[in-house]
Parts: sequence; C-alpha cells; structure tokens
Amino acid sequence: MTADWGILARAFVDPIHIPTDPTSVVWMFPLLLAIAIVYKATKMRVLFPLKFIKEVAVLFGTVSAFMVFLGAALIFLVKLITE
Amino acid sequence: MTAQKKLDHVLLLAVVGLAAWAVPGAGHLLIKERLRAAIIFVTITATFVTGLYVGSIGVIDPVGAKPWYMAQMLTSPAVGLLGHVTETAVTADGQQRYVSYGRCSDVGQIYTSVAGLLNLLCILSAVYMAYCGRGEMIGEEEHDG
Repeated sequence: MTADWGILARAFVDPIHIPTDPTSVVWMFPLLLAIAIVYKATKMRVLFPLKFIKEVAVLFGTVSAFMVFLGAALIFLVKLITE
Repeated sequence: MTAQKKLDHVLLLAVVGLAAWAVPGAGHLLIKERLRAAIIFVTITATFVTGLYVGSIGVIDPVGAKPWYMAQMLTSPAVGLLGHVTETAVTADGQQRYVSYGRCSDVGQIYTSVAGLLNLLCILSAVYMAYCGRGEMIGEEEHDG
C-alpha cells in the first residue's frame, strides 16, 4: 500500500516527456473541453443534463475549429512571409 | 431589508466566495446547486491535477514564475502549500529539488493556471447566484427535478 502511494506521488514529481513538435498542440484540446464545461456550467440558468452536454459539445467544437483555423492561417502567413 | 438581514446577506456572500475558493464547486454546493458544484469540482480538479502530472509540482514556482503562481493560487489556498514545498525543497548542493523545464513545464503551467482562472469564474458565478438568491429558488427546483 505504501509503495502504491509512493508510485502515485512519484507521478507528480517527475515531469512527463512532451516532444517539441507540432503534435504537442494536441494538449490544447483537453483544456478547451475543460473551459467549455466550466463556462457552460456557470452560464446555463438551469442545468438539464442532455442540453448541457449538447451545449458543451457545440462550444467545444466551435472553439476547436476556430483554433485549428487560426493555426492553419498562421502557418500559411509564416510560409507566405518566409518563402 | 433590515440592517441585520443585509449583514447576513453580505456574510453569506463572503462565505460562499471563500468556500468556492477553498474547494472548487463548494460555493455552488452551499447555494444548493449540487449538479453544478459536482461538474465544477470534477472539471477544475482534473485540469489542475493533469497540469501537475504533466509538468510535476515544479510548475508551481512562487519565486521564478510569480504571475503564473498567482493564477494557480486561485484554484485553492492549498496550492500555497505546494508552493511552499517547491520553494523550500532543496538538494544537498543547494539546488531546487522540484524543477520543470521545456514543453512539459509550459503545458503544466498553462493547465494549472487555467484551472485557477476557471475557478475565479466559478467564484464570481457562485457569489452572483447567492446575491440573486439562487440558493432559495433554483436550488430547490434542481433538487426536485
């Protein structure tokens, strides 16, 4: 049991490896989901589970799509300037 | 509203605000918004713990990353304890024991700080709902439904 707690504590002492490449931006999506959930939880006047899930999905999808679009636009802009 | 009632109301708002800061979702729980409180608690705690897992407790740096630390402190006052641990824990040669660099540090810092900022949103939401008397109105409806 003590060893289990040791392993658990160790997980928060050593950072995990995240490569410095474009795949690291995937870490943005869980954060966007958390933001969408909390925002909708505070904004909706009455929480109906199905409506809540639908609104969170719509907000998450919208923000994700916009971020992907913004990323693509910035890459295009950089290529336009540098090449 | 009598002076006593006004004072009680202000006290309620202060208690709700402090509870919401102490434990994410506790402010909403006090005004009987149980489902909202559970969603907020799980989401903010998961975001913060993910940040700690990714970047280690080294991302809580009260000395070298003060602005980030201020945002992280909004998650809960308990973050101050973690900050104290990372600040005081040193190796035999005087170096900081818990440090984090690179992309994992960035991601961890962003996750933990965003968790704090989301909790600020929840604190304001809980206080505003208490101010509007939501604990007496919608909380009951939610429970009944």
